[in-house]
Amino acid sequence: MKLQNYTLRYLAITLLLVIPIWAGIFYVLILDEVYDNIDDDLKNSKIIIIRHAFANKELLNTPEFGINKFTIKPLPKGQYSNKEEFSTSKEFMEYDNDNEPIRTLKTIFNDDKGNPYELIIKTSIVEEDELLEDLFLALIGLYVMLVISILAVNHLLLKKIWKSFYTILENLKEIKLGTGSKLKAIDSPIDEFNILEKEVEKMFNRNESIYSSQKQFIENASHELQTPLAISINKLELFAENSILADEQLMEIGKITDTLNRLTRLNKSLLMLSKIENQQFSEEENINFNELILVLTEDYSDLADFKEVKITVTENDILYFKMNKGLAIALISNLLKNALIHNHHNGFVNFIIDKNEMIISNSGNNSPLNSEVIFNRFYRHTTTNESTGLGLSIVKSIINNYSITIEYLFTSHHQFKIIFPKK
Amino acid sequence: MKILIIEDEAGLREVVQQSLEKEKYIVETAHDYTSGLDKLGVYDYDCILIDIMLPNGNGLDLLQELKRQKKQSAVIIISAKDAVDDKVKGLDLGADDYLSKPFHLSELHARIKSAIRRNNHNGDNLIVWKNVTLSPEQRTVSIDNKELVLNRKEFDLLYYFIINPNRLINKTAIAEYVWGDHTDQADNLDFVYSQIKNLRKKLKDSDAEVDIQAVYGIGYKMN
Repeated sequence: MKLQNYTLRYLAITLLLVIPIWAGIFYVLILDEVYDNIDDDLKNSKIIIIRHAFANKELLNTPEFGINKFTIKPLPKGQYSNKEEFSTSKEFMEYDNDNEPIRTLKTIFNDDKGNPYELIIKTSIVEEDELLEDLFLALIGLYVMLVISILAVNHLLLKKIWKSFYTILENLKEIKLGTGSKLKAIDSPIDEFNILEKEVEKMFNRNESIYSSQKQFIENASHELQTPLAISINKLELFAENSILADEQLMEIGKITDTLNRLTRLNKSLLMLSKIENQQFSEEENINFNELILVLTEDYSDLADFKEVKITVTENDILYFKMNKGLAIALISNLLKNALIHNHHNGFVNFIIDKNEMIISNSGNNSPLNSEVIFNRFYRHTTTNESTGLGLSIVKSIINNYSITIEYLFTSHHQFKIIFPKK
Repeated sequence: MKILIIEDEAGLREVVQQSLEKEKYIVETAHDYTSGLDKLGVYDYDCILIDIMLPNGNGLDLLQELKRQKKQSAVIIISAKDAVDDKVKGLDLGADDYLSKPFHLSELHARIKSAIRRNNHNGDNLIVWKNVTLSPEQRTVSIDNKELVLNRKEFDLLYYFIINPNRLINKTAIAEYVWGDHTDQADNLDFVYSQIKNLRKKLKDSDAEVDIQAVYGIGYKMN
């Protein structure tokens, strides 16, 4: 759920609870104030009526409400309390054709001769059910308006505020180490986002510099190893030539040379990998993979004959792709070499070329490889410690450079499917 | 034939010098840019090996200086950096070849010989060893003036042996020279053996006075 909607959901639920509670309290308070006011008004009317009654004796005999809002009835002599009694009741009102609530004040007073009279004053008051109904409608209106305005604020204002945040998110998603990509700058009025951006940038730059220094280290180490390797190999070659050595000693020297040759290969493959990752193969041309595959299968035909492996090429279409020629050769020859090495006598290697993909399949070991790890550096499936374990890593880093994808499948044979992005 | 080695690593300088002296070359060495420049100016060499990264200078500048002085020496650049840029730049500046470290001595000899041969422009230089005559340009071989028909790979093999006569050649060096980086090291021994077997048979059938011998565990030697 998006941040905007998430906050909106909680706000809507909270408002739904808060508004009725507030409305209840508001209703009670308002009603209390209204009654208080009406009662004060009634008390005021009482004073005015009694004063008028003293001045105008006729008023003392007003038994019916009529047009007046009060009645005065003489009471038999006796002791009465002066208490004011308030009550609420309902009375039929012609105008509304309905019973409407009224407030009544009932009190006793004595005239100048000391005769007691009963005074009843009434006034119509608020219709509580209608008030409640109105209040309820108003509150629903208020609630809807609040939610709509929050929604609007969220969508307009928050969108604007969080824009920087989403840019940062996008940056984190898009950015890849070692590709030389830059973070998109944000320009936010909000401090927190600016701090976040600065920290993300610092972290990224730190990682980038660690990454590149690590790459640099591998490259330098590989370069630095070349000369000592050259000296060792050449000294051994001279030594084997110069001395009159026994076969066993020559054999040992041969083994040492083989090991150094292996180290050389390893070193060259590591250099190749870091060069690919540093994108040092920038020149590109349109490669005809059909031609390239035919040339390479011809180059490897001696090895294939020696291993008694049959190479076939099926061309369903012509596959063109724009990339560096050296890398295209490295891509195909590493796959081909891999297919030839992990094969058996009377085995096969098949190329199937289509417009935007090619499949290389080969016979070999009868169990599938773990596709999660085969492209990892130094992963070796077989026990042969003579291979560098870097061939498929080189394949992987080449295809990563060009957004090509590779899939490994195992049906009764091993199969690598290389899918080129459509132009 | 005079060769100059400009290389800062004493160990490599030494071993290359020894190896070349075995081939009866007169070898001089320089250990940095300045001493290299001095020697270049004073003497003429048939071939100069230049390391790109030198103390107090760049090998490519030496190459430029050499071309400025219009010296006729063949030049082979030796570099620890197998960088395409350096290679292209070096060859553009007029180097005859580019060899990246580490290399096999047999490979170095092959490169030096073909660089000198190409540099001399003496038309078709035939390489003769005993009764075998090989023409690198025509890619033909004759034994006692009778032509021996070889396929491309067999010719490359024989060429490699004949410019490294009497030298022990590592099987990896052979595999790399003839088949490039295609073979897996595990297969080298058997693979190279089976290819050489065919060549030996052809040489023997046409009464060549040369033979390729296997040196146990290391490689082969032609004598």
